[in-house]
Amino acid sequence: MIPDWMKEVEVGPCKCSAVHHGKKGFVGKTIDGIFGFLEEAFVSESYSKRSGLLQGLDPRAKLVSILAVVFATSLIGDLKLLIFVYALTLLFAYLSKIDVGFFIKRVWLFIPIFAGIIATPMIFNIFIPGDPLIGVAYLGTGAHLGPLALPDSIYITRQGAVAAVIFTMRVATCVSAVVLLFITTPQQTLFKSLRTVGVPKVYVLTLEMAYRYIFLLMDLVREMYVAKKARTIKARGIFEEQRWVGGRMGYTLIRSLDMSEKVHMAMLSRGFSGDVKIMQEFKMHNRDYVAGAMAISLSVVLVLISHNIIRI
Amino acid sequence: MHIPDGYLGPYTYIAMWIIMIPIWYYAGKKLSVELRSKQVPLLALAAAFSFVIMMFNVPIPGGSTGHAVGGAIIGIVLGPWAAVIAITVALVLQALVFGDGGITAIAANCFNMAVVMPFVAYYIYKLISGSTEITSSRRVIASAVAGYVSLTLAAAVTGFEFGIQPILHHTAEGVPLYMPYPLSVTVPAMTLEHLFGFGILEALITALIFAYIQRTDTTILYGEKSIAQKKGRKGASVA
Repeated sequence: MIPDWMKEVEVGPCKCSAVHHGKKGFVGKTIDGIFGFLEEAFVSESYSKRSGLLQGLDPRAKLVSILAVVFATSLIGDLKLLIFVYALTLLFAYLSKIDVGFFIKRVWLFIPIFAGIIATPMIFNIFIPGDPLIGVAYLGTGAHLGPLALPDSIYITRQGAVAAVIFTMRVATCVSAVVLLFITTPQQTLFKSLRTVGVPKVYVLTLEMAYRYIFLLMDLVREMYVAKKARTIKARGIFEEQRWVGGRMGYTLIRSLDMSEKVHMAMLSRGFSGDVKIMQEFKMHNRDYVAGAMAISLSVVLVLISHNIIRI
Repeated sequence: MHIPDGYLGPYTYIAMWIIMIPIWYYAGKKLSVELRSKQVPLLALAAAFSFVIMMFNVPIPGGSTGHAVGGAIIGIVLGPWAAVIAITVALVLQALVFGDGGITAIAANCFNMAVVMPFVAYYIYKLISGSTEITSSRRVIASAVAGYVSLTLAAAVTGFEFGIQPILHHTAEGVPLYMPYPLSVTVPAMTLEHLFGFGILEALITALIFAYIQRTDTTILYGEKSIAQKKGRKGASVA
């Protein structure tokens, strides 16, 4: 019997990064990046093992449902509908026993940061003409910004602001749906479910293997950087350091191709003939059909509403 | 350069899927004939490397750091068709397991980074290096130019994909629905940034990796092994 405390799943990200003092150089940043990567992988895995709503669904039904929702979201041009779908992803996160605060942070903090950079200039009348909302500056006639002719006065437009909010919300909603997919599905199962959308067996196997070996290579890279850090007293010239990184990348490349030879031999010696077989251990239940059908009909309705074919 | 969901409108991303599916299909067919049972392990490890290469931070002048995309060196080492699949697998992993890059935009991202980059890099490298010795310094320069041009071109293509959005998708009042900026903004923005910044870093990294491979093990380079084997066979027959 496994005691209950051993079955408990860690809540939230663990802080396994090493402590750093002062400004981080390229070595420290790489080591941090790798720890961040591992942390993220562990967190997703711990959430995918909880007994929530989405974790209980058949991965194929879940994949098709999420893809349908993402596709529909990419077609929606209406803010209210986008907010509705976004709220729905939050609800499903909650029902899947994912810490909603963590979920929101995961989506907003890391990913659509660039969406913000793109969306901010949209609100001005430089790109989108429209009704003025707030005046910003008066430039006079004939102002230029690079190849772009600027209008006489710059103001924030209503249309621009709405377009910027829609743009950002659409990106966030799509990301939210995809995060929901991979945070509630163990990676190996997720790859296998790709068979349903027509990915050939060979690539399902390649994906599975690549995912596994990423961790091995990450560890190799981490060790090289840690070893360097441990031996560094004084930083060398920038070109010397760059040469070191280039050499390490070349070494990693040679190592990985060499490893692929060995893995190939090992596979052959265990009877691999190039014919890929994948175990199918999934079973569709009624609830999976219901979930899939609901997600697809929701997506269809969303598209129809946003294109004014159905009016509400 | 990973385009997230919601940047490209449906016409563009569906068109990119239609472009990519035959490319993937052809690459798959070609590789299964060329590599046979070696296909899965080689592509899996190469994909893992394509994924990991972005983790290497490189110091750049000014105290900051950057990282390489790696499409060029992978194209040169594996050959363009194997690079298509290896980088595609890496991009799918990034999109599906880490939310980096969109699901609808997978085909567009693959076109920019897994097709444009390795193909341009491979042919530029071939063109410049010509029939020089494998260890010649001309090949190092060839790989640097390949890295520089391929990344800048991939960025320009991305800029083009962004720039056609306001033409293809807007509301009746002309308000854009996806990427809002016209070609006159997106193409220069993406290109200049890579022409004077990331492109130089990619060139440097590609050349440094290539020089390292020259010093260490040239048999891993695409198309070189067969020559080495031929030489070996010739030597054997003479002996």
